[in-house]
Amino acid sequence: MTTLTPPPRRTGSTGGGSTPPKGRAPLTPAVAVRIAALGMVAVVLIGILLTRLWFLQVIGGQAYAQRAEENRVRTIKEPAPRGLVTDRTGRHVFAQNRPGWNVVARPAELQGARRRAVLAKLAPVLEVPLPRMTAAMAKADRDAPLEGVVLAEDVDQDLQIALAERARDFPGVTLERTYVRTYPDDTLAAHVLGYTGPIFAEDYARYREQGYVGNERVGVTGVEAKYESYLRGVKGDRRVEVTATGEPTGRGTISSTPPTPGDTLRLTIDYPTQRALEQQLRFRVTDSPTATGAAGVALDPRTGEVLAMASFPTYSPDAYARNRTRLTARYNRDERRPLFPRAIQGSYPPGSTFKAVTMSSALQLGLLRPDEGIGSPAELELYGTVFPNFRRQYHGTLSPPRAMEVSSDTFFYTLGSRFYEKRIKEGPEFQQQWAQRFGFGRPTGIDLPGESGGRVPSEDWKEEYFASDRDNNFWKPGDDINMTVGQGYLEVTPLQMAVAYAAIANGGTIPTPMIAREVVGPANQVKRRLSAATPSRTIPLSPTTLRTVREGLDLASNGPNGTATAVFSNVRATGGVEVAGKTGTAEPGVRGEEDHSWFVGYAPYRDPRIVVAVVVEHGGTGATAAAPAVCRTMAAYLKYDPELCGVPVAEDSN
Amino acid sequence: MLLLAVGALLGVGLYVIDIATVTDVRGSPDYYVDRQMLFVVLGLIVMVAVASIDTTRLQSVPWVLLGGLLGALAVVFVIGSSAKGSTRWIDLGPFSLQPSELGKVVMIAVLAALAVERAQDSDPLRLTVLLTVVAAVPALVVFVQPDLGTAIVYGAILMAVLLLIGAPWQHFAGFAAVLVVLVAMVLAVLPAAGVSVLKDYQVERLTAFVNSDRDRGDAGYQLDQSKTAIGSGGAWGKGADGATQTNNDFLPEHHTDFIFAVVGEMFGFVGAALLVLLFGVVIWRALRITARAASQFEQVVAGGIAAMFMFQAFVNVGMNVGIMPITGIPLPFVSYGGSHTVTNMAAIGLLFAVNRRRVGL
Repeated sequence: MTTLTPPPRRTGSTGGGSTPPKGRAPLTPAVAVRIAALGMVAVVLIGILLTRLWFLQVIGGQAYAQRAEENRVRTIKEPAPRGLVTDRTGRHVFAQNRPGWNVVARPAELQGARRRAVLAKLAPVLEVPLPRMTAAMAKADRDAPLEGVVLAEDVDQDLQIALAERARDFPGVTLERTYVRTYPDDTLAAHVLGYTGPIFAEDYARYREQGYVGNERVGVTGVEAKYESYLRGVKGDRRVEVTATGEPTGRGTISSTPPTPGDTLRLTIDYPTQRALEQQLRFRVTDSPTATGAAGVALDPRTGEVLAMASFPTYSPDAYARNRTRLTARYNRDERRPLFPRAIQGSYPPGSTFKAVTMSSALQLGLLRPDEGIGSPAELELYGTVFPNFRRQYHGTLSPPRAMEVSSDTFFYTLGSRFYEKRIKEGPEFQQQWAQRFGFGRPTGIDLPGESGGRVPSEDWKEEYFASDRDNNFWKPGDDINMTVGQGYLEVTPLQMAVAYAAIANGGTIPTPMIAREVVGPANQVKRRLSAATPSRTIPLSPTTLRTVREGLDLASNGPNGTATAVFSNVRATGGVEVAGKTGTAEPGVRGEEDHSWFVGYAPYRDPRIVVAVVVEHGGTGATAAAPAVCRTMAAYLKYDPELCGVPVAEDSN
Repeated sequence: MLLLAVGALLGVGLYVIDIATVTDVRGSPDYYVDRQMLFVVLGLIVMVAVASIDTTRLQSVPWVLLGGLLGALAVVFVIGSSAKGSTRWIDLGPFSLQPSELGKVVMIAVLAALAVERAQDSDPLRLTVLLTVVAAVPALVVFVQPDLGTAIVYGAILMAVLLLIGAPWQHFAGFAAVLVVLVAMVLAVLPAAGVSVLKDYQVERLTAFVNSDRDRGDAGYQLDQSKTAIGSGGAWGKGADGATQTNNDFLPEHHTDFIFAVVGEMFGFVGAALLVLLFGVVIWRALRITARAASQFEQVVAGGIAAMFMFQAFVNVGMNVGIMPITGIPLPFVSYGGSHTVTNMAAIGLLFAVNRRRVGL
């Protein structure tokens, strides 16, 4: 570089060449200085560049290399297949997955004018409204610009091909693998299973904390929601090299963690029993001119495991999994409320099925002696009011079990007056306390979202409920009297009714009913037992009380004058299974409406393995609709011929 | 040696263009390198032709040359074709000609001829003003095309010519003062008054290099990716296959104005430094020819060419490494582009023409 400065000896050697037309000799000392200056400038500039390069490449090389790496490597989340939901044996699958493809765009790679152009071209192809896509992208810009935004879910094969062919028109838009939830049995156990759907806006922040991305699907109701954490699985990571527009270079995967499928959820549901129950509910509603809906629960009284649970009318969870919005909108509009899980949320007056609870309480409180005889006249005047028997029947004097057999109301009205007297004398609300011991008035704690607690009316409740009604805002004798036969302001869910009868069947243990049996891992190993780990509590029912009440329930279903004998007698005589249970014909509280038909029972009588409670809304007497439904549901579980279940001849018993 | 250095630069350019543009034109991976090869061949022919002309004849026709240049620039305004918001090309079928590039060499000859002609019979200030006006007219025309980079090169050439004809040092101080005032006016004062001389993108480019690294505007992105490319090359480079910044298209303009970043990414500090030193060799040989020129005209021409290379190489590499504003000046001999390749090779031819009549040794 030093030779840039011309040696001074050449300064004098001018005139050697041809003489220019004008101008002085080419290289004067002054000019040499200036050429040298130019050379010096060059040296300095080159020095600056080399210094800068040294700092960028040698000293900062690591940091920039990392940035280049971040540029080129994109982490793609691989969806995990959601866990299966099966029946109690694990052999029948209620919910599974099917692979599908979503159309996905990454907001960070699709910006400005290009985004507008691409989305505008995409909208007619996907048949998704442009504003919806634009809004989804704008939202993701704020929340998670590097994550994919699902523009269309589960696109069919024709659309996949169309997109692949026009890939050049849609830079930054890709097809990504997904799993679509399917429910092979369509509507079966819909209210138990629930369904998956997009995350609601108000839950978005909560789900993000748990690692969900923008428009992922999550369990919305049922066990899909309750056991989301087991079912969701763990997404896999695939690190691939991409170009500036986010397209994979095709040079393969840099590293990958495969997704972990969600765990299988094995329910306590017994598939044949569930099917029988649902078929019965459907039949009882569609067969009746007045019935509007029905619900039923079958429990194992020893464990509280739910063997079957259903509500009718019902819906198809597939409609949500497949985004069939027209169908889901129809469900929402339907006045019969197909989405409503009646078995755990429907509150009904229990009618005479409650008499088993009343009798247990009265016996335990000493208000009734097991060997006591009480009259059952056609009507009874108490505290100035006449309380008639059902259809003004007259039974003479009845022992407690016989009162249960014929379902005498006046017998229980007498007990009602005794409850009232005891309350007046001693203060506490005895009937309420006992109803609560049996589990009424609060949720049973089943592992399903949204359970209702029903209502046990009390003095406080009346005071508040009828605050402005001075004639009704206090406890009356009639309130105690009505409650003994499951009327008045008492409201229960079918599940609560089944739990209460389970306690009578098992000797006083109130189980926490469970719908999920166990969590099963990928190697078919049981990772967690759910139904076996739930707490239960015991209520003090003496052997005498249990014997008396059980005998009453047995007589009601098998005795010579039993209200449900027509339904169950052949099951005992021919099928060899003795069913004990009580009918209920509950007045809905609206004059002119048909009564709700109830039946709650358990079997086998000596060794109870199943409790079933069924209510048919506006289905008539307990014996006509609910009792046959219970009989045929039990047949599926206890393996007796359902045709043994009889049909009552006349509607003359409650 | 000059020829060797230029040949090496051209070779590096062809090699890098070949690799960097494989995916740029779908279905035709060699599109750019084939065209550049053609430009180099064309440039060689022009170089040989220019090397054989008698430089004294150039000296006699400055006004003709100036007229020709302005004429060509005027043609651009009338029938010019546009690209990326700028009208600077004349469409010639499959190729397009950028007269403003050729104008650089013409400008050197014109200024040198006028300077030598008037050097003895006018006072230094009048001469400086005359040359400034002569340079400013085409520079302004180019500036409004708009092509800020080339206009600035014209300015650099003017400075070199003034330096070599012995303009007083005070004049340079004056230019420096005017420059400072101009920059302040253009970037700060006039926009505040509602007059914008530069387009927004030009201001953004000019100021991006002083802003933070994470400026995500287009110019900021360009600079960020360029520095990431060069820096990630490290000491020894990532090789042609490992150059993900280039190959995955994170670095825009990787075959034109930002080709230096590609060299930096592929060949690291060693390669980038060697490339810079190759320009050092070119400048050194050009200055050597300047010192030995047979006439003052040839001396000024050769010096102007040396200064032109120096300025273009420094500004281009400087903007690649983030120490100079982004002004759209290609890297001589290396960047893709017909007009500037041919022009720069013509300039080399001119150096050979001067060298032929050298004095001494």
